[in-house]
Amino acid sequence: MDVEVRNIHKTFGKVHANNDISLVVKSGEVQGILGENGAGKSTLMKILSGFISLDAGSILLDGKEVTIGSPADSVKFGIGMLHQDPLDFPPLNVLDNLILGSRERMIPNRKKVRQEFVELQKQFDFSISPDAFIDSLSVGERQQLEIIRLLWLGAEVLILDEPTTGISAAQKIQLFAMVRKLSEQGKAILFVSHKLEEVEALCTQVAVFRQGMNVGQMLPPFDNDKLVEMMFGKILTRSDRKCCTQEKVNIEVSDLKIDDPRLPIKNVNFCIQKGEVIGLAGMEGSGQGLLLRALAGIIRPSGGHIWLCEENSSKKDFVGKHYFDFKDSGISFLPADRLDEGLIAGLDLREHFILAEKQKGFFVDAKAAMQLTEKRIKDFNIKGTAENMVESLSGGNQQRAELALLRQPLRLLLLDHPTRGLDIESTLYIWSKLKQRCSEGASIFFVSSDLDEILQYSDRILVFFGGKVSKPLDAGDVSVDQLGQLIGGRGWE
Amino acid sequence: MFSKRIWTLVSLLVVMALVLAACATPTAAPAPVETEAPVAATEAPVVATEAPAEPFVIGILTVGPITDNGWSTANYLGAVYAQSKIEGAELIYAENVNSAANPNTTAAQFAEQLLDKGANVIIFNSDDMKDGVTEFTSLHPDVPVIWLTGDFAWEDGKRYQPDMKSQSDVFSKMEYGKMMAGCAAALTTKTGKIGFLGALINDETRRHAAAAYLGADYCWKSIRSETTPIDFKVTWIGMWFNIPGVTLDPTQVADTFFTDGYDIVISGIDSTEAVTVAKKFRDQGEDVYAVQYDYEKACDVAPDACLGVPYYNWGVDLLPIIQSIKDGTYTRQFVWSDPDWSDINNPDTSSIGFKKSDGLSAENSALLDQFIGELAGGLNLWTGPLNFQDGTEFLADGVEATDQQIWYLPQLLEGMTGDSVTK
Amino acid sequence: MEKEKTKNPNQNSFLFNLLTNRASSMTLAVVFALVFTSLLVWMMKANPISVFQTIITGAFGSTNNFTQVIQAWVPLVLASLGLMFTFTAGLWNIGMEGQIVMGAIFSYGIIRIFDGSDASSALVIILCILAGILGGTLWAFLVGLLKNFGGVNEIFGGLGFNFIADAVMLFLVFGPWKPEGVANGSTKMLDTRFWLPQIEGTYLSLWALGIAIVCVILVTVILQGTYFGLKLKAVGKNNKSSFLLGIHTNRYMLLAFVLCGVLAGLTGALQVLGFNHVLRNNISGGYGYIGLMVGMLANIQPLITAPIAFIFIALSKGAAGLGIDLKLDSNLAGVIQGALVIFVLIMDGVRKVLIKKFKGVQSG
Repeated sequence: MDVEVRNIHKTFGKVHANNDISLVVKSGEVQGILGENGAGKSTLMKILSGFISLDAGSILLDGKEVTIGSPADSVKFGIGMLHQDPLDFPPLNVLDNLILGSRERMIPNRKKVRQEFVELQKQFDFSISPDAFIDSLSVGERQQLEIIRLLWLGAEVLILDEPTTGISAAQKIQLFAMVRKLSEQGKAILFVSHKLEEVEALCTQVAVFRQGMNVGQMLPPFDNDKLVEMMFGKILTRSDRKCCTQEKVNIEVSDLKIDDPRLPIKNVNFCIQKGEVIGLAGMEGSGQGLLLRALAGIIRPSGGHIWLCEENSSKKDFVGKHYFDFKDSGISFLPADRLDEGLIAGLDLREHFILAEKQKGFFVDAKAAMQLTEKRIKDFNIKGTAENMVESLSGGNQQRAELALLRQPLRLLLLDHPTRGLDIESTLYIWSKLKQRCSEGASIFFVSSDLDEILQYSDRILVFFGGKVSKPLDAGDVSVDQLGQLIGGRGWE
Repeated sequence: MFSKRIWTLVSLLVVMALVLAACATPTAAPAPVETEAPVAATEAPVVATEAPAEPFVIGILTVGPITDNGWSTANYLGAVYAQSKIEGAELIYAENVNSAANPNTTAAQFAEQLLDKGANVIIFNSDDMKDGVTEFTSLHPDVPVIWLTGDFAWEDGKRYQPDMKSQSDVFSKMEYGKMMAGCAAALTTKTGKIGFLGALINDETRRHAAAAYLGADYCWKSIRSETTPIDFKVTWIGMWFNIPGVTLDPTQVADTFFTDGYDIVISGIDSTEAVTVAKKFRDQGEDVYAVQYDYEKACDVAPDACLGVPYYNWGVDLLPIIQSIKDGTYTRQFVWSDPDWSDINNPDTSSIGFKKSDGLSAENSALLDQFIGELAGGLNLWTGPLNFQDGTEFLADGVEATDQQIWYLPQLLEGMTGDSVTK
Repeated sequence: MEKEKTKNPNQNSFLFNLLTNRASSMTLAVVFALVFTSLLVWMMKANPISVFQTIITGAFGSTNNFTQVIQAWVPLVLASLGLMFTFTAGLWNIGMEGQIVMGAIFSYGIIRIFDGSDASSALVIILCILAGILGGTLWAFLVGLLKNFGGVNEIFGGLGFNFIADAVMLFLVFGPWKPEGVANGSTKMLDTRFWLPQIEGTYLSLWALGIAIVCVILVTVILQGTYFGLKLKAVGKNNKSSFLLGIHTNRYMLLAFVLCGVLAGLTGALQVLGFNHVLRNNISGGYGYIGLMVGMLANIQPLITAPIAFIFIALSKGAAGLGIDLKLDSNLAGVIQGALVIFVLIMDGVRKVLIKKFKGVQSG
């Protein structure tokens, strides 16, 4: 089916989220939509899928103008949207989820549905059991299920909104294969992303959105720098990997053992040098998070040692100490879910900075706090004011705020997915700030599901598989392929 | 989809609210016309023709609801009686003046409200309001206050308050009523066991329980000529009425009495549990009865299960005092009135009465009348020898108790079981 | 027409602005609450207009009425202020009632010690207040301990301690502390020299009023101007993040209970010294529960508790006249209060949903 939107306008309050956007996607095309966070990509997708209504403009399907008043309308017209967060019902099993979403029959024919589901799966080499419960599926599998559900409902146009967020490398490969297959079948596909490399790998044409406008189209071969310039209105350069590793041991981990009922980890041994960046790779939930939290002092290891090494080569074992002792020794943890365990929704930026600073006296010096906040906002290039509630900031600005909250000096910075969901500009910015910390002698330990990120920024890499931890690998000596193998569980002795 | 639904729900609510508002306004609007007009119509002529000057307003505070068919109803009807006999008098009242129902407003503050509404005299209807009387009179020493059951105005009393110049006390000698209740019970009982369902413990309830015992003991020994002593047991629930979780449950207490073989329960509380429970037992074939308290019609719930009720007729004592307030001849007084022995059930003359109910047999009714006759003839049951519950002497042989000894009876009497003061 | 609007929410539409503006949305809530109550009254075959008239004159119609309102405002505002601490920390201190009761009991205990002695009134009154504070604090501290170290939800803990406090109260007033020869659920009246001095001819004590005003200011300063207040707020908004930011979350939750207990105890002491002048069952006057409603509306802004508590208490006191004038149950005030809370919460929820849906998605 061909999709066309003409002169779409949508405002939220004072924000012109979609400003005269027009776009044509023919059947069989994979239309990439690039743009940084807040560029208006999701707004347009939500209009197409009936979640929000347009203020002005028209939508044409196969040349015929349609009015999409609700998500149900959009399904009826054959538009299926894959959301960033899958819209499924966790307590139910796969089959029931399918049936629940269908509007056709009052009494479901379970046998037929099962058969159709299995056939659809086969086309794309997926292997989800129809009887599995949703909560037992990974994010990637839920995504696969959702796509199958959309196809099963008869989607001719598929909207994929940032589909690679939170899924494994292997699942990403499967997803891309599926998208190509669907485009061969004549489906029109809208692929929303802010990752250049994904768009390059997959799309047959790309539109770039900036500040609510469609600022340009491009056909392959894509000019990378040009795309970036279109997205940001300026040219960005990537920082080179610069090794700040010093020959001084910062932290020594020996025979560390973590008792987790689902994923016991043992025999972890490595050293962290000062200024070093260590990336933790592996499928999500392979133990990286546990190790990160153990090093932060949030969970207590059941055995082994975490030695904090001093300049005079004396060292102290921190196993069993309180989180606050870790924190006071310059070990900081930045979580993946920023509003869950990093920032405090309901407090503004200023209040966060007051809390993060050392308490002076009993009363808060509002003026000093304000000055500090404004300085940090400037230093860290945070788009927001001191009175902005943190939850109103975009993900990138939240992450900047978190970095700005860190105390001086730092010994070790533990980061869980530091750039997840961030656009390129924020990602580059965050890493430049992190590198600055490294040059000041702090070590960085970070978890990421983005292999490129790990390879680009790490000095050494630890690979996790099912609770096993590899020896540290030198980032310069290892290829994406090798890493992929290890992550997938191959090549472990 | 979900948020869409919320939005729809919200708008639905808004629409509903608007519709409701639309409905409410037109219906509400005519209301004032309807209600205010008749009020004006009925009140205005009364004011205009009968009391050209300011109306005379009687205010009464009742501890319970005026519809309790017990204490508060009796008090309220007394005030109504006085109002009906005094030309141009109006009556205002505040009910449920107790800390459970109105924890944030004291009796004194309720009295203030009545005063604000023009009350010329304020009646406090409960012993519970002692502190309210104290506070109110200290702020308004000139406003006539009548404390039912009180003793602040009794010069010979223990709690005489010489400073409360315009405060009066009114009570009637319910001791006689209680004696009749005890007698009716003793005449009827088959097991020789009588239960007394007591309220809280204070001077008043102690002497009433003792009076019931004296009446029962007299009729048991002298009229029925029984030789074994009568079993007379008092159980206090802790309040004038049931407050779940705070007091004992009177239904439970009555139930226990009947189950334990006490076939008559004399009620000393302001509500009707005793007779209700008696009816329940009678329905199951048990031969049990209750004697009610306070209000003339308290037996009407279950006349068959009731022997009768000693009741108050407050109007008889209230009328002259209130009349004197209106006439400007009021002086402070302490009233503890005797019944009209010529006819205790005369509504215009006797401040207490005893109304027999269907449970009382004709034979026992005659015997009870005989007892009442003896009381009228001067029989004084408060005559020694009488001992207190702890065995110490209350009255030596042949000595009659003084009013003070009766009013401030410190203990129950020998022969009664139950607490004299709560432990 | 309504349906059209739901389909095409236009941010500039009147309805949208009406519902998303804080002030107009709150006004609407009040209007709805009044309409709702009027309906109830109308169904009870009474006239809503005269009901509201009665309430207003009942609360403000005379100096006496007005001073009664102020007098009752004091304990309510104190209780609500105490709850500001626990609300800020994200805790539901249902145990407020019991804490007030304990404050009253401790306070009266001091009276018993000095009864009949010739100790200076001021000294005894101060001791009574301190003892009351101790009692309330102790009771709140226990709930906090159970929450922190026993893992007992403060709602259940609080309810439990309310029952225990009531039981202790009943035991005392029907037992060892009953007046001589009487057991009627109340102790004997305080010697007038131990009363908080009242304005001549009223029930209002300027001392109590002064304490309340000082407390409003103190609590506002503590919660809005100090590190303590900010940390408490952080703990209330997000316990996990606060801990990771380096706040001793357990300690702060316990402190919230303790400070709440201080104000509860103070409330209890004033109920004895400045209002009831006896110790009796129901001494707490339900202020712990009404305070929760005030607290919900005040949305952890201590300064706002003062006017809200004032409105609530004016409603209750004004409604006392309903029984006298219109023969209606004075508990109607409770219905109005409850309706206010519910409608304000609904309208606030509507406002937030609308703002989130139509203003906050631009970054999506």
